[in-house]
Amino acid sequence: MSASRRLAVVAVLLVAGAMWFVLPPVRSARSQAPDVLLNVLGGGAKKLNLFMPDFTVVGAPDPSGLSRSLAEVTAADLKFSALFSVVGGQPPLPAANPEALKKAWTDAAAAGAHAALHGLLMPRADRLEGELRLYDLTSPELRLIATKKMAVVPTEPRRLAHKMADEVVLQFTGEAGVADTKIAYVAPRDGTKEIGVMDYDGVGAVPLTANQSINLSPRWSPDARSLAFTSYMRGYPYLYRLFAFERRPVQLLAGFLGINSSPAWSPDGKQVALTLSKDGNPEIYVLTLATGAFRRLTTHPGIDTEPNWSPTGREIAFVSDRAGPAQVFVMDVEGTNVRRLTQAGFNTQPRWSPKGDAISYTSRQGPHDIWIVAPDGSNVRRLTTGPGDSESSSWAPNGRHLAFQSTRQRGPRIYTMLPDGSEQQPVPNGPAEAASPAWSPRLP
Amino acid sequence: MAQRRGSVLLVMPLLVLTLFLVGCPKRPATPVASAPAPTGSALAPAPGAGPSTAPSAPGSSSGPTAMAPSPAAPGTAAPAPGTPPRPSEFSENSNLKDVFFDFDKYDIRADDAKILDGNAGWLKSNANNLVLIEGHCDERGTNEYNLALGERRAKATMNYLVSQGIQANRITIISYGKERPVCSEKSEGCWQKNRRAHFLVKAR
Repeated sequence: MSASRRLAVVAVLLVAGAMWFVLPPVRSARSQAPDVLLNVLGGGAKKLNLFMPDFTVVGAPDPSGLSRSLAEVTAADLKFSALFSVVGGQPPLPAANPEALKKAWTDAAAAGAHAALHGLLMPRADRLEGELRLYDLTSPELRLIATKKMAVVPTEPRRLAHKMADEVVLQFTGEAGVADTKIAYVAPRDGTKEIGVMDYDGVGAVPLTANQSINLSPRWSPDARSLAFTSYMRGYPYLYRLFAFERRPVQLLAGFLGINSSPAWSPDGKQVALTLSKDGNPEIYVLTLATGAFRRLTTHPGIDTEPNWSPTGREIAFVSDRAGPAQVFVMDVEGTNVRRLTQAGFNTQPRWSPKGDAISYTSRQGPHDIWIVAPDGSNVRRLTTGPGDSESSSWAPNGRHLAFQSTRQRGPRIYTMLPDGSEQQPVPNGPAEAASPAWSPRLP
Repeated sequence: MAQRRGSVLLVMPLLVLTLFLVGCPKRPATPVASAPAPTGSALAPAPGAGPSTAPSAPGSSSGPTAMAPSPAAPGTAAPAPGTPPRPSEFSENSNLKDVFFDFDKYDIRADDAKILDGNAGWLKSNANNLVLIEGHCDERGTNEYNLALGERRAKATMNYLVSQGIQANRITIISYGKERPVCSEKSEGCWQKNRRAHFLVKAR
């Protein structure tokens, strides 16, 4: 590589990665790679610099341009993870040319990259295979630190790109990313509300209901195969279950007189907590799916609703007006040991984080905003500050992102953010109006 | 080599810790087994819920697929005692006046009690009519909470009519929460119009 070409790469890196931490072109510190990374973190830069040229298509032509398009999807996923500053767009590298690869990695390292992702695509008749090769550019030997093969059906190439991104996140953090997930939502349509589902990045939105009534509160089962939801399809608000990816009929879960609403799956998927008013006023019950038996948890004359199970399965957060304006309470799964979690304002929609260390909720103190609190009531933090109303938070399965709805740009749209309130951004590509996001667990 | 890898793996958790205030205790194992397939009459298929298209299934080679419509089945999951007529079977009646509620409240106001007295009088002299009471909320607050709030408003209205001598078995209630506003502006005047109990009737 000529000097001018190298400078060009540096320039590209500088422009493309706002957080890009450019190290000296010739790094004497390379032999102390971990220190370099620590220095980067300590120096205020937040992200790991990842170099990823377009994917290399092996053994087949690439008429639809997967080399570029899938690399762009993976790059977008990695940027979304908020862990990486990504520089891509370079031409694909040869699959098996050690000298060329070494030169590419050396140049990238010189320009400040900490790691490199080399993606390979192998189109087959019945599937699209991919291979990921991850290099540590902070090691003097530019060491290959991980390889992983994966495959998807040919009709879902984007899923391969998502899986690559999730694997990169796994290699660097010990837990996979969430690019290969979906978000269910409620969308208004001609005076009705229907439930739909899209990829986490808003692509591929399709309806899940089309019954021309009001459909609310989609909640994924832990196996990510089905959703419980409230629907007026029979006139009254009953609770149903639909299977998102299978030709199976919708099941009625609860059709009592009054409201049958606000489903919440137990972590083992065997029970659904819900709100029923069949006994006089809205109370929380637990339905055991295998038997159809209902067990009542609350017995207060006020409103008790919006149950949400802790990831241990031992506790249920819920909303009650027993103390005045609605507040979030927590009880043991037997309905005992009720304690109040939130204090000021009008607080609803508790959502336990997947790791159990926080509960997000919607607080109305003027407009609605998303707040977060530790399960013991400490560490109360406000995550959104308008404009408009932000509500209905839903955790990504790794707990590193929250989806929520906001009216900050007129009609409701779905946004995502980190659990510290940073990186708030609308889901790209999604439906024009969508609310009540439900982030799926990891897909089967 | 092994040392290098260990170093990277050690550094990365630090990165995560640096980025997120929320701690990361190890997540308990999440069972991936699906809920047992419902059997018998506990969980019945529902009619009319089939979407026109379904998303492509993870791992499936099929594109959008139509979900097979299921035959109408009795709601055996939780049979309501004397299943009420569908709301669509009820119709408007100008003799029955709406009553309204304070924000986040479901008690009957003194002025509205007089309106309900009038409604009760009409229902007494038209004893062959069943009545559907709809409970509604304004747009503030969340969907699920407002569903419960609307239920309480409809129930409070029903209880008042019963206290005035209307047989409870003539009355059906339904909550629409915040889902069916009559007014869509963001003003207290508009919100007040939406915080209502509305009446529909149906001949026995």
